[in-house]
Amino acid sequence: MNQIPEHLRIVEEVFSKYRRFVYVGKKLLRWDAVSKVTGRAPIFTADFVSRYRDALYVYSIRAKYAHAIIKKLDVSEVSQYPGVVKVITAKDIPGINDVGYVVPDQPLIVDRKVRYIGDVLALVVARDYYIAREAAERVHVEYEKLPVITNPLDVIDLKTLDEKKHVLIHEERGSDVVARYRIRRGDVERGFREADVIVENEYRTQFQEHAYIEPEAAIAVPESDGGVTVILTTQCPFEARKAIARVLGLPQGLVRVIAPLMGGGFGGKEDVGNVIGAKAALAAYLTGQPTTIIYTREESFISHSKRHPMIARYRHGAKKDGTLVAVEAKIILDTGAYASLGPFVAWRATVHSVGPYRVPNAKVDTVAVYTNNVYAGAFRGFGNPQVHFAVERQMDLLAEELGMDPVDLRFKNILREGDETVHGQLLSKDLGVGLEEALRRAVNLSNWYEKRRKYSLHSKGLVRKGIGAAVLWHGNSIGVEAADYSSVSLIVNSDGTITFRTGLTDFGQGALWGLILIASEILGVPPSYFIIERADTSAVPDSGPTVASRTTVMGGAATVNAAYKLRQRLNEVASHILGCSPSDVEIRAPDVFCRSNPLRRISWRDVIEEAHWLGIPLQEFGYYRAPSASWDEDTGQGSPYITYTFGAVIAEVTIDVETGEVTVDRIYTVYDVGKVINKEGVEHQAECGAIQGLGYALMEELIHDAEGRVLNANLSTYYIPTVADTPEIIYDWVESGYKQGPFGAKGLGEPSLVGIAAAIANAVSHALKAEINELPITPEKVYLTLKKLSKLRNDVRM
Amino acid sequence: MYDEYPSVKIRLRVDGKHYEVYVKPYERLVDVLRYKLGIVSVKEGCGRGECGSCVVLMNGELVPSCLILAIRANGSEITTVAGLAPEGKIHAVQKALLDVHAIQCGFCIPGVALAIKWLLDKNPNPSDEEIKEVLSGHYCRCGSYLRFIKAVKTASKYIREGRIYFDIKEVIS
Amino acid sequence: MVLIFRFNVYRPKDLDDALEILDREAPEVIPIAGGTDVLVLVREGVIRFKGLIDLWPLRRKLSFVRREDEFIRIGALTTINELGRSFLTSDVRYLGFHDLIHYFATPYIRNLATVGGNIATAHPLSDVAILLLTLNAEVKLMSAKGERWVPLENLYVGKRVLRKEPNELITEVRFREKPTNSSTSLLKFDRRKAHIMGYVVVATHAYMDHEVIKDVAIAFDSVGKPYPGRAKLVEEFLKGKPLTNDVLSKAVKEVLVKEMTRISDYRATSEYRLYLSGVLLKRSLLKVKERIQRGSLG
Repeated sequence: MNQIPEHLRIVEEVFSKYRRFVYVGKKLLRWDAVSKVTGRAPIFTADFVSRYRDALYVYSIRAKYAHAIIKKLDVSEVSQYPGVVKVITAKDIPGINDVGYVVPDQPLIVDRKVRYIGDVLALVVARDYYIAREAAERVHVEYEKLPVITNPLDVIDLKTLDEKKHVLIHEERGSDVVARYRIRRGDVERGFREADVIVENEYRTQFQEHAYIEPEAAIAVPESDGGVTVILTTQCPFEARKAIARVLGLPQGLVRVIAPLMGGGFGGKEDVGNVIGAKAALAAYLTGQPTTIIYTREESFISHSKRHPMIARYRHGAKKDGTLVAVEAKIILDTGAYASLGPFVAWRATVHSVGPYRVPNAKVDTVAVYTNNVYAGAFRGFGNPQVHFAVERQMDLLAEELGMDPVDLRFKNILREGDETVHGQLLSKDLGVGLEEALRRAVNLSNWYEKRRKYSLHSKGLVRKGIGAAVLWHGNSIGVEAADYSSVSLIVNSDGTITFRTGLTDFGQGALWGLILIASEILGVPPSYFIIERADTSAVPDSGPTVASRTTVMGGAATVNAAYKLRQRLNEVASHILGCSPSDVEIRAPDVFCRSNPLRRISWRDVIEEAHWLGIPLQEFGYYRAPSASWDEDTGQGSPYITYTFGAVIAEVTIDVETGEVTVDRIYTVYDVGKVINKEGVEHQAECGAIQGLGYALMEELIHDAEGRVLNANLSTYYIPTVADTPEIIYDWVESGYKQGPFGAKGLGEPSLVGIAAAIANAVSHALKAEINELPITPEKVYLTLKKLSKLRNDVRM
Repeated sequence: MYDEYPSVKIRLRVDGKHYEVYVKPYERLVDVLRYKLGIVSVKEGCGRGECGSCVVLMNGELVPSCLILAIRANGSEITTVAGLAPEGKIHAVQKALLDVHAIQCGFCIPGVALAIKWLLDKNPNPSDEEIKEVLSGHYCRCGSYLRFIKAVKTASKYIREGRIYFDIKEVIS
Repeated sequence: MVLIFRFNVYRPKDLDDALEILDREAPEVIPIAGGTDVLVLVREGVIRFKGLIDLWPLRRKLSFVRREDEFIRIGALTTINELGRSFLTSDVRYLGFHDLIHYFATPYIRNLATVGGNIATAHPLSDVAILLLTLNAEVKLMSAKGERWVPLENLYVGKRVLRKEPNELITEVRFREKPTNSSTSLLKFDRRKAHIMGYVVVATHAYMDHEVIKDVAIAFDSVGKPYPGRAKLVEEFLKGKPLTNDVLSKAVKEVLVKEMTRISDYRATSEYRLYLSGVLLKRSLLKVKERIQRGSLG
């Protein structure tokens, strides 16, 4: 008989007990909105720089070539430049020269070879940015150039997925394949034989850049105990601490990482914090002075991870009635010069590779390979937006072959409660399976069937209209990537306010506010009583990284635990004063009373005071460990994620046939989030994801030339959506109730981007009556598509 | 080499306060504001005048402070988002941004708030097209664009009703 | 060449002072107007100099938009937004300036970028130059040694290179007033709807007699050279013909294709740019026709 752990039992109890809510589900203004709108106080990392007068500036001297051996590195002229305090090279690193997040393949400062254009050869520590930059020009490097690989198909064969012979980028690893994953379920060959229709196609997606408006920054201050404090833009303060300690050769406890609120992250500040933090800390440690480093926008473009480009071949087989019988996929992800989060991205892509459908026979192979491009890592969606583009296009192609409406085809195959996923995971009621409801609502909201018919008629003239749909699933939290745990601390102060501490960070997504609402609900105390402390490794518990849409689910479950236990004790104390049983105590701070005798009221402060006298502690540490995920390396069978967020997205587009311009008129999103905790937050996510997804679909791409140099490292040549590109965004929610989530909640940070490009691509395909196999869907690609179909009826055509 | 670039003293008024500061000829206004004067209600996102986060009102016009040489700011009147309202209060524009829940990461807000203020000063009841035109140079990667448009309309209403300033205490509760 | 990122700034007392400093120090010292181009080039390490001459103090004298003896004269330090607030944008003939402002970078950049600065960048995507080419504008170059007027068309020599001495300063542009029954327009296209450089930029001016084109000027960001130029063969073809879809179609298919060559780069291919040039040319001229007919912004 399985003993259910206490932290899980508490979450399940809270889920089943609460029926009516005071704070959960409400739209309340987030805790930091006022300070952000008044702007006076320092909020972001670089805002604190002026407090450190005379902090030295650290500048990175970067590679001239994307792939070369360093034969000679002469920094003597750099060191001698007036105003330069120190030049740091690899040999000056006291600890281990590695900042790789998953795989130890990434030196902080290169010593032997450069693998991409952003590799750092030396750090110049100088009095200011200008001097550092001028001094950096005086470096002398002798390189032996090596062949530059910018096409992953030069490293791996798309048909066989065998590694090709080439000059290795990571020769120290003996291979440029970083990771391989697979799914083997049933018998795809038999499945395809039984299929009535088969569609097969190749899909490609591009490098996407996070383009958060706040560039990366770090301030490092050497401490008197020989350690160092680093104020840092990082989504993972404890990972950063680990990396910095490793580089400096210090025990973790001597490295303190403080993560202020960030101006955007989206996964981009997941591992770059290790890099920029280590640079600043190293400079501070070796010079004994405070240092600062703020990346320029151009540097940010080339030196933090990107979204993995994908090349994939998909083959789908279905019966006449639309039932899927087999899916085969070969997926290649370009992880660039370093692995970063690549192995995990490749795994998540594999898990989700067939989409949220019942697939009896599946054969999926995913490979992540190195190239000399800028390295790819975590970006909102983490491999999922890529595979969903491919899968949802495949479903539309199947629908066309079958003469079925694409939404009907999806209704026929989507996962429902009680179904098994392609990994053999049972989607029980406990997991919260609201995909069907989400699709149904999206269809109603958008008036799908009528528009699908109406827009099909719009197939002449210079303007075409289209409507497209996509469904999605996104596993919550980190699955089998690592031990999945989180923690928070609640401390009731003697004045009645409550200090909330967690190692989870905020870069705008506002999920921490959801945690406060959870604590508010359970304690019976308004959110305004809470003070969220900055993530500070010396003060907050390790809560795991702020990634994988896990803050609400994991941080929330930890918060439930802390608040629940604290509430038990507060009930005890209150019952002591009021005389009723603890379970009868009602807290509606500032009032506290017994449900059976509401006229006798004491105050919240009375309870706190009494607790001190009784010797009942008013701090609580909440810990939550997710139920173990499982994954068989050979078959891809198991329970890879604790639950999945489901969703349906429908997009409407208008296309100017002459220029190829695609305008997205409307995006409808319906996400099954288990339970809406933070109403303001889920709305923000829906909008943010839709707009970033639109950029991914239509305009964003980071481009390298054949030498591996980035051609568009600024915001006028890397196009992110402006206010003028923003469509109407209409959303609704499904609350299917995930039993082991806080009040049933699931995550939304990433799911809100996963299905957007797929829906837009399907809409464009509908409008043009043509296949769309590549992202981004630029006007030129539309022009070429139409040209191919000879559908241009423009009287000025070439 | 320091003497090769002699510092120049400039005087400027920022959010109603007078400042005198020595600046290098090559220093930008955003550097002086943020790092010499510690005024963090101006951000820097790109250094090329593309993202809008460094925008300030200089002598009544919206300009990107990352492309203004500090010496040009001598004798100028500069307003940042922090100067839109007196201490303890917020301006209708700021209140509107809060009302529509436009704040996510908040990094673009200092620039956006000023752009909205400038627009409403010139055009008390702007159309959607006019709003989009003015906000077209401000990037918000968190996707609050639709909320900015709503905020302009809300702020416009407040201003036309004569409600220019709001007590911060009112808002926080 | 080893780069310097710090520099000195000279603040001239007046125009004569500026010209004298330039005469003495150029090319080690270069002028800065709005700074929206120069400061970005410094940042990228593309240009190198010892000092800048700040032209901003000269704005009182060099920022103007006026009518004088059949000419429209625009001071080189007039900002893009000042152009927008001038009489030009309410005069049917010069509505191309309204388009120019609408498409120009971002709203706040328009408070710094100047007419002279935009021309001096000598970049193909110099919107001001493209529009002014259709108006047969001339540029006034002044130096300590004298002054001369140069047709804008003759000013461009190569990519980022002007036929101008380092000690010369652009101080003014002028063009002859256009006849009534004429108008201008400028169009750009890119992959998003605001803050665009443009795959292609076209400006047109046409003078119509009822349906017939009496005179037309067409300028693109590039017709074959790496700087703005006029599509003279297309203009010749169109003169005297009615401004209809068919005529425009022929102009593009038969003439523009021969006159224009386009480059491929990471943003777009030459084929698409050439194709798009035709589409935008048509739209621009149709817009001009509409403006003439309506006598307004249209």
